[in-house]
Amino acid sequence: MRGVCLISTLAVLACSALDAAPPPGERISFVSCPIVRDTRSVPCWLAEYEGDTYYLTIQSDVSAEVQPPMLGHQVLVEGVVSDAAPICGGIVLEPVRLSVMPEIDANCNTMLPADERYTIDFNPRPPGPSAGRLAFAPDPSARPAPPPRPQGTQTIDIYFDFDKGVSFRHPGELSSILRIARELPARHVRITGVRGAHRLSNGTLLKESAGVGERRANEIAGLLRGAGLDAEAEIDWIDGDGEADGVDDWKSRRVTVVLTP
Amino acid sequence: MRSIKLICVPLLACAGAGLLSAQSPSRTAETLKEWWWAPGDDRVLPAYVEYRNEFGRLGIVNTDGPIETDGHPFFEPLGSNGRACVSCHQPADGMSLSVDSIQQIWHASGGKDPIFAAVDGMNCPNLPPGDPESHSLLLRRGLFRIPLPWPPVDADGNEITPEFTLEVVRDPTGCNTDPVYGVNGERREVSVYRRPRPAANLRYVTSSGFGVSPFIGKTGALAAVDPDTGRPVNMNMMSDAREPTLKTQAQSAAHGHLEVTQPLTVEQLDKIRDFEMQLYAAQAFSYGAGPLDEPDGPSGLGPTAMATGNDGVLGNNTTRFVIPMEEKWANLPKDGDDAERARNEFRESVQRGHDVFFFRTFWIKDAMHINTVGLGNPIKRTCATCHGMHMTGMDTANGWMDLGTTNHPWALEPPESPWAETLPELPLFKITCSADLPPHPFLGREIYTQDPGRALISGKCEDVGAIVIQQFRGLAARAPYFSNGSAATLRELVDFYDRRFNIRFTEQERVDLVNFLSVL
Repeated sequence: MRGVCLISTLAVLACSALDAAPPPGERISFVSCPIVRDTRSVPCWLAEYEGDTYYLTIQSDVSAEVQPPMLGHQVLVEGVVSDAAPICGGIVLEPVRLSVMPEIDANCNTMLPADERYTIDFNPRPPGPSAGRLAFAPDPSARPAPPPRPQGTQTIDIYFDFDKGVSFRHPGELSSILRIARELPARHVRITGVRGAHRLSNGTLLKESAGVGERRANEIAGLLRGAGLDAEAEIDWIDGDGEADGVDDWKSRRVTVVLTP
Repeated sequence: MRSIKLICVPLLACAGAGLLSAQSPSRTAETLKEWWWAPGDDRVLPAYVEYRNEFGRLGIVNTDGPIETDGHPFFEPLGSNGRACVSCHQPADGMSLSVDSIQQIWHASGGKDPIFAAVDGMNCPNLPPGDPESHSLLLRRGLFRIPLPWPPVDADGNEITPEFTLEVVRDPTGCNTDPVYGVNGERREVSVYRRPRPAANLRYVTSSGFGVSPFIGKTGALAAVDPDTGRPVNMNMMSDAREPTLKTQAQSAAHGHLEVTQPLTVEQLDKIRDFEMQLYAAQAFSYGAGPLDEPDGPSGLGPTAMATGNDGVLGNNTTRFVIPMEEKWANLPKDGDDAERARNEFRESVQRGHDVFFFRTFWIKDAMHINTVGLGNPIKRTCATCHGMHMTGMDTANGWMDLGTTNHPWALEPPESPWAETLPELPLFKITCSADLPPHPFLGREIYTQDPGRALISGKCEDVGAIVIQQFRGLAARAPYFSNGSAATLRELVDFYDRRFNIRFTEQERVDLVNFLSVL
């Protein structure tokens, strides 16, 4: 990807930026506009930060572990620089965690056309209909073992996008909590909402909105109650500022559910 | 340059203009008794019946055999205004109601048919009855008034605190600013105007075979439950999914549309539900393609295929398909007489239209509840991504999305001017979402909409303008299209999507898509 640097002022600047890219293994966290680069197959998603282009993910389907961000919004990127070959012209982050920032940003509108230099040699799902199963679905012949019957106090963390509440990510987790609560059976549930915070690579402390921890806790409590959870509930919320150290800060955007038999 | 084959069947409105006042072949006032089911008619609905429409004939399969309608609660006028369920769910119209039928009944009855009842067959109940202008939305666009409580209430009747305020910006019907019926009136209602949905193929529509859980798959919110069983339902009925089951829908419709004063009995509700679940409707014969129910034809076409197909199946894949055609109408013989060649050409057009629907990619962008469910914004996909349910083309579960049919900027009417001959017909609301919550991801915190859709039920900002996706079957019999009747023809429907998503269909692709949709 580094290619040959032509001797010109512009090229020197560009190469300097590339040379300054973080080394493999380094954690990186930034907020920037996502970029769509089309290919002959599915589009890939990129983001630029401090002169470098990072590969985030490709379009596949709802089974993907890393789901694409959204044009019209900035994206919070948290990842580890990988030594893998660049994809779609971007430095690969592995693992990577993405969160769409909620406010609209009309500047985030870059769609790059398909370019023969950039191809995807893995393609879990074409851009149209699937071949009959989700891109990352487990082998249907391998039936997963049923989860063990829970015993004792159970602590479950639910993670959220930045400043957001319950979304498409959560029905499976909520159903799982309901199942565990019924199997225990839970007599008491403690629900703690956390307002998350992030230490970005440039040193900035990025905090979620005041009140988001409370909103999340109440929302989860209301959903579990509405779905039939019959247990004494204790609801509280805290600020997660102290957890922001640039390492997996996405885990601070959460609700912790503690089920006690 | 590739030549464009414009394959138009008789009365297929390729130009679109004038369709709303056109009459279908054999659908005249003189033959009204043959195709119009009036409440209380003592007739038998046979096990199979066909009705003509402008594209051919629609077939209705009644799987439990002939029904004697005398005394049947679907066919009897149960309330004070003389309507029955069948008034707005006519067999000839695919168990919906076309604007063509509405206009003919208006003329035949002198505006006295019960479908024109003041409660919702007029733009507002306070208008003078009998004046066509009082019924203009029904006569021109096939729209009934749907008054919904404001603020919204939940299934137990408790008020929901909405995430937004609602302001009436434009009120051409006068109803939303009326001292009685208005948003701030005595009744505290929001009046929106919607098409009746087909009461057929409901085994598919209500199936819980895919994606149904206590929590809505696209949002994580609580799913509605069947009050009889306590189990979650798929929330795919009605434009806004406000009723969870066919029985609760019937109860609500009896009260709201039929003006029944006492709740329907359990026996009546069971009979209505059972009848609706045994009906299958699809186009059976096409003037262009010929018979659609052939045993060796495409397996997804025709009413028999609907009656025997599998429900609860995701069809957006190359194993099940949404409308299976097995490429049986690809590369057909070019010899034969003129009629055979014309039929084969039309069938090939239908096959191409299917392929456009299923494989032609475009960028789906800024569509709420599709670009927000982990696929990214935009996604490079096809029509079948959203219209993915096997056999119906609905969404598989919890199928409300904002495709722009009611929200600005996509539902924007032409600018008004001193020279304009028409004025906007539908109300316009300004929605202001709470500054304390995340904005609508594509429309922000100030949204202009003709119909807030699901948001009038959920109270959620993200649901403004989100409408449950309709089934594709029997389209030939029930124009106009979209919940607000904004597409008068199948061509206008295709053109809307082309504008909305900047698809840039070729003329050939548009013709092929229309032909495909016309045989469903």
